[in-house]
Amino acid sequence: MTIKEKGYAHWEGELEERRFPWWPITRYGIKLTFKKKYFKSFLMLSFIPAVVFLIGIYVSERLEDFKFMVRESVPFLKVDPRYFNNYFTNNGLLFMMVIMMIFCGAGLISDDLKHNSLQLYFARPLKKKDYFLGKTSVIVFFLCLLTLIPGLVFFIMKLVFSGNFKFLAAYPWLPLSIIGYSFVLNAFFSFYTLLLSSINKNRLYVAILIFGIYLFSDILFGIFYGYFHSHYFSLLSLRANLQQVGASIFNQKTPYNVHWIFSFLILAAICLLSVAVLRKRIRGVEIVK
Amino acid sequence: MSVEVKDIHFSYGKVKALQGVDLDLPQGAIGLLGPNGAGKSTLIRILLGFLTPDRGEGRILGYDIKTQQSMIRRYVGYMPEDDCFITGMDAVSFTSYLAELSGMPRQEAIKRAHEVLFYVGLEESRYRLLETYSGGMKQRLKLAQAIVHDPKLIFLDEPTSGLDPQGRKEILDLIKDISSKKNIQVLISSHILPDIEYVCSYVVILNKGKLAAQGEISKLKEIGYNLYELRVKGEKEGFLQKLKDINCKVEEREDGILKVYVPFSRSIQEIFRIAAEEKIQVRHFVKSQSSLEDKFANVVGVD
Repeated sequence: MTIKEKGYAHWEGELEERRFPWWPITRYGIKLTFKKKYFKSFLMLSFIPAVVFLIGIYVSERLEDFKFMVRESVPFLKVDPRYFNNYFTNNGLLFMMVIMMIFCGAGLISDDLKHNSLQLYFARPLKKKDYFLGKTSVIVFFLCLLTLIPGLVFFIMKLVFSGNFKFLAAYPWLPLSIIGYSFVLNAFFSFYTLLLSSINKNRLYVAILIFGIYLFSDILFGIFYGYFHSHYFSLLSLRANLQQVGASIFNQKTPYNVHWIFSFLILAAICLLSVAVLRKRIRGVEIVK
Repeated sequence: MSVEVKDIHFSYGKVKALQGVDLDLPQGAIGLLGPNGAGKSTLIRILLGFLTPDRGEGRILGYDIKTQQSMIRRYVGYMPEDDCFITGMDAVSFTSYLAELSGMPRQEAIKRAHEVLFYVGLEESRYRLLETYSGGMKQRLKLAQAIVHDPKLIFLDEPTSGLDPQGRKEILDLIKDISSKKNIQVLISSHILPDIEYVCSYVVILNKGKLAAQGEISKLKEIGYNLYELRVKGEKEGFLQKLKDINCKVEEREDGILKVYVPFSRSIQEIFRIAAEEKIQVRHFVKSQSSLEDKFANVVGVD
């Protein structure tokens, strides 16, 4: 006898109150991202900067062995906070992060809006904060693969390759900088992506916005800087603001002659704007029609 | 009683959506009827815990609608009217995902998803991407996600919209099975009165934010009038006016048939007397059975 013929059957178990009710949202978000076309290839590609910097750390500890390749002095192989700052704030990595946002973040909310699925979520014992945490964690997971994890791996491998703790003794604050700047990158890109994902139902349009705004802000900076030669226009560029804050956290000279706090405030303002928009957008549709 | 609300008031700004609604619903399938703007959706929003009423109180499955919304949603299933799904998923992933969000352990959720998909008749297509589903299949899927966590109470919003007659009957049979044999209370909001009559034994009719009627369908059909269908020839205005003067309600159908609701205190001879006075030929005169539609028309003021 088939189940259908048997009729509806009750479930014997007991529904439980989860400690992390948002976790299924995150797990399915990660799973769905991996199913996307070209994503795995892109993910491999996005690890190239990390691999190059890791090789750099290895080579820096084995300069004697690589003398036949490196004849002159090589300042870029000096592993110090600047080396970490170079990894975290290089244009290539930031660009990779933007592309990562397009893959994993563009459809996070826009797809739910397009397919009216918010009402399915909120008809469950989920709070709005659980929904956002679940979606944000998808972005954080992928960004950590490019930021926090490589950063900590670099630090640990530096200690392993050098065979002593001199590096840790010289820069005991560096692990905190890695964690701190990873947090800034994660927070900014999460809010930036969710903000754009919540304002349109079309994932393609959101992807264009994520990429376009990042690029356009940089072009705008370039145009104004070329005309007025003022570093203050770097505040228009998302990339430049992230680099300013990064340099400050890694205790380096900022690339533009503007106090980093302005850049930090701009990034924070974007995050606050995102919170306000998300609250409004999700409130408007969580109610059944 | 699993649904009890008292003196519920709710306003959207200056617009009063609900005004003093009292409900005390019995077990089984219950129909929620009312014209557009009657307050049905607002009532469902309040029962699901999406909105907090301005005034009044209530309990769903014993949980307070103002303070225990989360618990209400854990034990309540909801089938929305709109097409809604999560892109990139098949039916098993979708259903088990929503079961997990309701608090079901993952392995149990997957097992249960298969069971309910079999139950609603989606066994063959449960691994197909939801984007490829037809309207009827999506409707079944919505029912599956509403029952996957074995709720004690289910809200169904227009469960048969967009279905062909066969699909409609199958869904209604499933709902009937759930509500009649499994001790699950079902609240159906629908505009299709025959669907409500087929599945429900009890209805709630809202009109302009107020409770217009509630009770057993069989009792509500006893509308306090005898219903007659007439076909007449001649100038009708005077005839209709005189019928109204003796408290009869008259409804003229598109095919020319007059449905005349005659109060119990009046006899049919009076209709013939008025017809004779107005020189009207009565060519067809049949006593008719009142339906839920008649009751609905009666309480919402269509006459």
